[in-house]
Parts: sequence; structure tokens; C-alpha cells
Amino acid sequence: MNRDALKLEHVSVPGRLAASDLTLPTGALVGLVGPNGAGKSTLLLAAAGLLGAGSGRVSWGDENVSEIAIMERARRTAWVPQEARFEFGFSVRAVVQQGRYAQGDDEAGVDAMLARFDLTALAERPVNRLSGGERQRVLLARACVTGAKLQLWDEPLASLDPRHALEVLKLATEIKATGSTVVMSLHDLRLAHCLDLVVVMDRGRVVATGKPEAVLTADRLREVFGVTMRTGDGLILGLP
Amino acid sequence: MIRRLGMPGVLTGLAVVLVALVLVSLAWGELTLSPEQLWAGLRGTDELAHTVLWQLRLPRVLTGMLVGAALSAGGLIMQAYFRNSLASPDLLGVSSGAAAGAVTAIVWGWTLTSLWILPLTAVVGAVAATLAVLMLAQRGASTERLLLAGVALNALLGAITSYHLSHGVSLWERNAQLLFWLLGGLEDRSWLHVTAALPIVVAAVALWPLGRRMDLLSLGETEAQSLGVDVKRLRRIMLVLATVLAATATAVAGIVGFVGLVVPHALRLLVGPEHRRLVPLSLLGGAAFVLACDLVGKLAGGLRLGIVTALVGGPFFLWLLRRRV
Repeated sequence: MNRDALKLEHVSVPGRLAASDLTLPTGALVGLVGPNGAGKSTLLLAAAGLLGAGSGRVSWGDENVSEIAIMERARRTAWVPQEARFEFGFSVRAVVQQGRYAQGDDEAGVDAMLARFDLTALAERPVNRLSGGERQRVLLARACVTGAKLQLWDEPLASLDPRHALEVLKLATEIKATGSTVVMSLHDLRLAHCLDLVVVMDRGRVVATGKPEAVLTADRLREVFGVTMRTGDGLILGLP
Repeated sequence: MIRRLGMPGVLTGLAVVLVALVLVSLAWGELTLSPEQLWAGLRGTDELAHTVLWQLRLPRVLTGMLVGAALSAGGLIMQAYFRNSLASPDLLGVSSGAAAGAVTAIVWGWTLTSLWILPLTAVVGAVAATLAVLMLAQRGASTERLLLAGVALNALLGAITSYHLSHGVSLWERNAQLLFWLLGGLEDRSWLHVTAALPIVVAAVALWPLGRRMDLLSLGETEAQSLGVDVKRLRRIMLVLATVLAATATAVAGIVGFVGLVVPHALRLLVGPEHRRLVPLSLLGGAAFVLACDLVGKLAGGLRLGIVTALVGGPFFLWLLRRRV
């Protein structure tokens, strides 16, 4: 039996999200695309159960999120903000360790994740003195070290260089292989093409969900993004 | 790289400094006691020393320690709450609120009915000021907004206190009592004040287990919530503790500025930003800082504690502001 990883029914947030429905299967790598202000971040917050009591229903598996205790939610879902402002100079390691707050400490797991995100050399560096891309990797490492089965990442690739972006996609694929679901918002439609499913949002609504080639059509791109599409081999990057 | 000292070293160092400050504060004054006299006085075998110690110096030292610990921990909590290292009870107007409450109670004669009216009105004033700050500057508000809210509140509450002062210029004795609140000090503190300061001990104990959650909160509310912290509840507890600490400290010693800013900052430079370390250290450090400032004041021929902490803290605050730009 394949339970749905995430189900949104008529979720709305005034001015940001209009009665959205969305069902995502377990074990999928999902891209969330749409123009600025389409409601991607709000949808991810709602999916993570972080919007408080709003209208509509969010479920993980077949459980209503609002009925799951906060601690338990943290064990099941990880959320990565688009950007974080760090006032205090916690070390990179300390921030990644926070990912284990609900699950209990796991030093080996933290070390492995630091290595995975190329952060070992920066482990003792204060997090408020990192570059944007380094900060983003710290946030992703903290989300991954939770081991949560539903990973919700808000523009995880936005400030990463090409190699780290590809590494993150590769890691997401590995996480998916363990039966988890990874949902990430992104702007690079070429990268979205590599994912299992794509959700297109526009003006606070989910306008399409499906396989990338079925959803990212020329007509829809013109309609939603106001851009034209031309297929053909361009620059294709991969990891060595 | 972060240069940090080990927690055991800093803790021991601070404890030694605190004990030394306590001993010097007890022994030194208009009547300076030798170590033998100090010991005899504490045990009660030297009558004069006994009176000086038990009636004057011990209450003063204990009140000072509690006030310092409260203001420093109050600042630490507010900094984590607002995610801003420039937040503290005095800069945000919470101390002024407590003072305005206390002064109003004195002027209107409420304090004559019960000894507990004064601390109670101080708490009411502090709570009102805290609520006002919360309305003016939400969590995560910019530094400017937060500090400007503090400036506005301090001005408003200061006006209340000044009004009471000006409205009875001829009442010297009463006005001297009012002035006490404007420039905090530890003169003439008695066992009554030590007792009135006991809520500080309760708040400090309640603060002890919050360290790790404060770490998470200080890196972002939504993030903390997603990682498993009941943010709403934690914020409520922190706010209550910070208000109780600041209000109680102000109720027994008047407005003593900058302790909540200077001490947590200095400690962060020494041991880093982890609250599990900062909570115990800021309690100890605040106590030591206030005792040291009180001694400096005595040394300078009777400068009030509030003046000394402002003389130390003001330039420190300006330095911090400059460093942030």
C-alpha cells in the first residue's frame, strides 16, 4: 500500500493561497515552480504544519497535521526556509546539531551530514559569518540530519554554485530512494525537468501537477511565466 | 574560527571572582574589618562587626547579587526572545515601567498600607511596559524599530516619574525617595529587600532548563517550531521570566542600567552563544558585575550604583552599535 505522503485539501491563506488541493505520493522528488509571489513558500509552510490553524486540512499519511504533537511533527517533517537571518554566532556544527532536537543527539550523523554538504572545514565557523550559499548548505544539512520522511525545502538551490546544486539534487534522489518525499521550490525549469513530479503554481493557486514533460508545456510556460520555450541541447551540466 | 574558552575554566574563574568580591564588599567600608574581625562578626563573637555585617553589609551584598543576576539574565532572555543582542530590560523601557509604577505608588500613598505594594506596583508597571514593547516591535523587528520603541517608552515613562517629582518640589524627603528609583543603588538595603528579591531565585531556577530551546528560538521562530519547540509556550514563559526578573530587580534597587546588555555580551565573547552555558554564567556574571560596580562607587566616594553601571555600560553600548554598522 502506498500512502500519500502529503495531502492538502482546500488550504487557503488570505491574500497568499487560494483554496489549494494537492496530493503527493510517498517516495517522490517533487519540484514546486511558479513566478515570484505565486504562493510557493506559503504552500510549503502550510504543508509543514507551520501556519497555525488556518482553513483547510493538511494531512501526512492519513493523519491530520493539526492533531499531531509538535515534537512528533518535527520527527516526521523537516522544513528549510528560503533564507535565515542569524543574529548570534553559533558554530555551523551547533546549528546542524539542532536538527536532532526532537530525535535525540546523533554525533556521527551530524559529522556525516557536515561532510556530505562540504561543511567539515567550516564546522567551527560562526554561522553569521558565512556566505549565502554556505548558509543554505547549513540549513539543508540541519534538515537532512533529522532523518524526517517528508522534506520540504524552500528554494534550496537559489544561492548554490552549480556543483553544490547538483550535489543537493543527488542527495535528494538518495533520500527519495529511502522512501522519503522531497518537495522543493525552484526557479530553474531545466532542473525541474529532472524531477519526478512538478507542481505549477500561479497567483496563489496550484494550476497543474504531474510529470515534468506533461506539465511544463510551451503553452503553460507562456501563460504562467510569460516566457517562450525552445527545446534542444543547450549547456548540460553533470557531476564527474 | 571562534576563539572560545572552556566552560569549566570560565565558570571557576567567575566563581572565584564573585567570592572575592563578596569578601571585599563585606570587609571594606567606613569601618574596614580585618579577616579575623570578618570571621568573628559572621559568627557573632564581635558585637560591632556583627552589627555592621548582619544589619548593613550582608543585606546590601545579597541584594546586589540578586539584582545583578536578575538584570543580566533578564537581558539574556530578551536578547533571545527578540533575536537581537541589543535588547535588554532597561533599553526597552521595562525597568522604567517598574520605576514609574513604584514611584506612583509612593506618591499616592499606597506604600503606607502594605510593604508589598511597592514591589507589586513595580511588577504592574513592568508588565505594562513589556506589553507596550511587544505591540510596538514584534519579534524579529529590526534593531532600529526595537530601540526606537525603547526610546519612546523610556521617554513616556520617564515623564510620569518626572511629573511626580516636579509636582511637589518642596517635599524633600519624599522626593529623595523618588530619586532613588531614577538612579538605582544599594544604599540602606535591608533584609526586607533581600526577601522581596526572592522571586529572582525562583525565576532563575525556572530559567535553568530552557537553554537548549532558547538556542533554537534565537535562530528563528518558524525554524524552532519546525524542529520541535513549542514556540508559543516557550515565548510566554520567557516573557514572564524576563518581566519578573526586571521588575523585581527594579523594585528592590531602582533603575540600574546596562547590566543586561554588558554581561551577556561579554560572556558571549568568552564562551560563545549557547544558552546552556550563558544561563548559569550570566547569573553569576551579573552578580559579580553589580558587586564590582558597587565597590567602584564606594571607592569613588559614594557614587550610586546606577551611575557607575551607566558609566561603564554607556560607552560599551556605543561601541557595540559602532561595531554593528
